[in-house]
Amino acid sequence: MRSFALASVFLSLVSTAVCADESNLTKPLSSKFLLPSAFKPPQVFKNTNLVHVVNLEKSYPKESINVVIENTASSPQDEYYLPFTTRQMETIGALEVKDRKAPESGLFEVEAAEIDPESDTQYYRIRLPKPLAPKAQQTLGITYHFLSALDPLPATIQQKENQYLVYTFSAYCPSAYVTLKQKTEVKFPTTNVREHTVIPGTGKEPQSPQIQGTKYTYGSFGEVPAGAYEPVRVRYEFTKPLIHVSRLERDIEVSHWGGNLAFEERYTMTNRAANLSSGFSRTQFAQDAYYNPQSPAIKELKFPLRVGSLTPYFTDVIGNVSTSRFRSNKREANLELKPRYPVYGGWNYPFRVGWDADLKKFLRKLTTGDGYVLNAPFLEGPKQPEGVEYELVELRVILPEGATNVKYSTTVPVVSESITMHKTFMDTIGRTTLTLTSINVVDDLRDREIIVTYDYPFMAGLRKPLVIFSGVMSLFVAAWAIGSLDVAIKARSS
Amino acid sequence: MESSLHGVWESAVGNPFVPTIGKDSQFTVGFSLLVLGTLLSGFFGLNRSFLNIPLVGIPASAAVA
Repeated sequence: MRSFALASVFLSLVSTAVCADESNLTKPLSSKFLLPSAFKPPQVFKNTNLVHVVNLEKSYPKESINVVIENTASSPQDEYYLPFTTRQMETIGALEVKDRKAPESGLFEVEAAEIDPESDTQYYRIRLPKPLAPKAQQTLGITYHFLSALDPLPATIQQKENQYLVYTFSAYCPSAYVTLKQKTEVKFPTTNVREHTVIPGTGKEPQSPQIQGTKYTYGSFGEVPAGAYEPVRVRYEFTKPLIHVSRLERDIEVSHWGGNLAFEERYTMTNRAANLSSGFSRTQFAQDAYYNPQSPAIKELKFPLRVGSLTPYFTDVIGNVSTSRFRSNKREANLELKPRYPVYGGWNYPFRVGWDADLKKFLRKLTTGDGYVLNAPFLEGPKQPEGVEYELVELRVILPEGATNVKYSTTVPVVSESITMHKTFMDTIGRTTLTLTSINVVDDLRDREIIVTYDYPFMAGLRKPLVIFSGVMSLFVAAWAIGSLDVAIKARSS
Repeated sequence: MESSLHGVWESAVGNPFVPTIGKDSQFTVGFSLLVLGTLLSGFFGLNRSFLNIPLVGIPASAAVA
């Protein structure tokens, strides 16, 4: 009886294993068309060869499409469309296109085309710098990433368990044109890939994916019609935090008299990793720090600042956080922060950091007129091996009082800009402030620059001293006037 | 708004901004001016007269500012 029970348990285990294996092997193919009936981009291109790379090494999927396009129309064409779903459009960031053959020629003009807001398929319109002649070919390198696209499964884990993430994408690269030949490469952070969709081979094409270490290749596939979609779902180990900054407010304040550039960054940080299935155990945490250093908790943030940064601070709602270190020498200026508590999945940690820098490294005087040009990093957040994603970045460049004619330029995509006045100590009219908002930014865009030019006449610089001078002067006059009043009680001697 | 201003930044090379008062001497200059201003204010307080307003007051105010 006992052996029978054991045998049945064994059998059930085997069948589970087999089923799990099967679920790994076959997924029904459900190709579909994404293009709406209302709009179809003019079929003037075809993709001769396409390589789609999905990089899952960081905490956000980074994708790149290298494609050789060919003009099939009879007239020169310069508009190439790239389709995405509505959900993807909300979370896509830093879509950049350049010519793979001439990367130094700069980025192409890209804009989200608002054609049918009701439709599930939206387009990015890529404008080629030079219209492509009929039958001519061009190689495009398209890169972008998605925020909040990786989800932990299971959604709750034990404190020392490994974390697994799920990502769904299409084995056929989303395209508005016919693609003759393509493949999709997926790069995983480790070889521990628990599940992946298998696409059975057809006559000529072998079964996908082909596995080489951490690289999985789907394809190559033959001719695929425009808008074809072949869902692929992967589940892989990623025992690292998913650092998500829902809002970053970054201030850069210029002081001409002080010769100082002050930075302050206010973070609203969340960890999107799997939540803890039971309460947090401090003992377990201390143990794991030695035995199992990998953890989905945010334990440390490293800010490599510009060399020469001074006087950093790190505070949160309680006050100064003493678990920080600042290593500064001739070669580096690293600010290493440990949050007040390890930030596990679903936990938040709002904090602020700030530091100063010598202005002469960032500001130059134009040779003509009263113009100045400021060059500072757009983003200087933590540099983590697992990456950081920013949902919203609000950058304020606070210029001196009286600065006019403000212009800026940056390669980070900006969604809104405004120039306002910021009033602070001893200000009479307020400081000119340039506010730039950017969404769906990742730490890859670190060290992108923002260049601001402005006019700052010499007299505007003297405004503050003159105001104080007149204030003190009027005090003296008042002292003299009041002192010379005759308030004696005795009768006047006239 | 691409990197159109990058040329402006590059053209201004060799012309960095130099503050009127260097970062290292800020305290020395500021403190001595403030002491001077306070002393002159004290002198004016002891010896208030209309003539002393322009004579002592103006330098004192300038020093404090």
